[in-house]
Amino acid sequence: MHLVIQALILGSLTGGVYALMASGQTLIFGIMKVINLAQGAFVIVASYFTFSLFQMTGLDPFLLIVITTPIMFILGAATQWFLLRPLRPDDAAELSLLVTFAVALGLEGALSIVYKTTLRSIMPGYENHSWTIWGYQVNEVRFYAFLLSIAMLVILYVLLQKTKFGRSVRATVQNPMAAQLLGVNSKAVSAFGFGLGVSTTAAAGAVFGLITPFNPGSHYDLISRLLTIVVLGGMGAIGGSVIAALMMGVGAALVSALASPIWADFTFFIVLLLVLLLRPRGLFGAKVRGAL
Amino acid sequence: MTTNNHVSLLQLENVTAGYGAGLVLKGVDLTVEAGQIVCLIGPNGAGKSTVLKTISGLLGIKSGAVRFNGEEISALTSRQRLSKGIVHVPQDRSLFPAMSVWENVLMGAFIISDQKLINKRIELAAELFPIILERKSAMAGSLSGGEQKQVEIARSLMLDPTIILLDEPSIGLDPKSRKLVFESIRSLASAGRTILLVEQNARSGLAVSDQGAVLESGKVALVGTGQSLLTDPEVSRLYLGASAK
Repeated sequence: MHLVIQALILGSLTGGVYALMASGQTLIFGIMKVINLAQGAFVIVASYFTFSLFQMTGLDPFLLIVITTPIMFILGAATQWFLLRPLRPDDAAELSLLVTFAVALGLEGALSIVYKTTLRSIMPGYENHSWTIWGYQVNEVRFYAFLLSIAMLVILYVLLQKTKFGRSVRATVQNPMAAQLLGVNSKAVSAFGFGLGVSTTAAAGAVFGLITPFNPGSHYDLISRLLTIVVLGGMGAIGGSVIAALMMGVGAALVSALASPIWADFTFFIVLLLVLLLRPRGLFGAKVRGAL
Repeated sequence: MTTNNHVSLLQLENVTAGYGAGLVLKGVDLTVEAGQIVCLIGPNGAGKSTVLKTISGLLGIKSGAVRFNGEEISALTSRQRLSKGIVHVPQDRSLFPAMSVWENVLMGAFIISDQKLINKRIELAAELFPIILERKSAMAGSLSGGEQKQVEIARSLMLDPTIILLDEPSIGLDPKSRKLVFESIRSLASAGRTILLVEQNARSGLAVSDQGAVLESGKVALVGTGQSLLTDPEVSRLYLGASAK
């Protein structure tokens, strides 16, 4: 029982981090119907940015998110503007898969040139600290990461639900032509929305670099997990992806504790297959298009 | 029509437009005077909705000219035309179904930043369409077809438009909702709005209109008052589904 509860704690904290990554992916899909295969690579890019900035400045990796978030936003918006926007609307959904996969490979190649393929870790000194609460270990970094994820998701929620920009994003998702007729610049919204989706990788990348050794190829593993979470939660449903991330985090931790860590990775693929076969719109797939 | 000092509110001069290489509009001439309701009727595929799209800027024209208050607006973007007071309510339900009625109405004022002005416009719109306050928290997608259309039209008032382009407002509605929509159009006209109406239900459309125009194969084939077109034997036979008496 102790093992199960410990796994639940660890899984929930890890799930929070996945939720952050997946919410950006979901936002991008919700706005543009683009399955961004480069989201994992953007996370790794953010991890390397944090790694380098930490080495240069010695600032806490969590503080560096303030610097890396706008950088990732610009990178995301530029990717949309220069590589995805020119695609013909009729082919955009299919071609964007290829384009974002090409972006992922390009980023991996660039990182391999700059940083080589050596595994790196961000080590501020407290990465292995844990608190013991009622006999259970709570990893300090994962706990902070969980809090950060909640904070970022709240910011994302407020931005989408309570601001004029958020209304324009949701309107564009639900009815692009009507939004345009009301004066919404759908091209700018798409670029901004993509940038916003990618900017969540700044926080995710910092956290990922703190809890896991990474190299340029780490994005393959990440993107497969993210896609599972997004499909399980329901494509385009941010709330759904958060719950799915927590479920997958806990599920994988339980499998890892009760069976083997090897099977934990496999859990994601089994869930992906089952969801696609049995409930393709996911657990919380929006009945109304665009109900972010 | 632009003669001597008179400038028509809206004028299309020999407009051609289409999608890809094909032409849908093949030289449309149309004039709308301020304060009028003008109804555009015609068979499916004649280009009625395309006319509205060229006016609101959703579709660029290939040749000809679109003038608004005498000014050539063909090169302006949708948003620029919107700020001139040209509001387009498209045929397909154009509400945002997963947003509340209130948010939908606020979207109508997207290009306005003055909150006091927005509140004032909402009050004015609510006088004609009380539903926007009565159902303000309801998701737009949960409203009936007639209610949705009312909210759409109310939303179009948020910019205090000079002209409202209404594309098939009664399509897909039950008779009761349809009646409600045409009453709404009459209310708008009483409030001094100019309306260019595209309507498949030609009889109802012409009945509320000051002027009518018949579009056939991308060209205006016939113009006249709403009443004269209603009693025209040829129009009656082709578009009203009965012989004129």
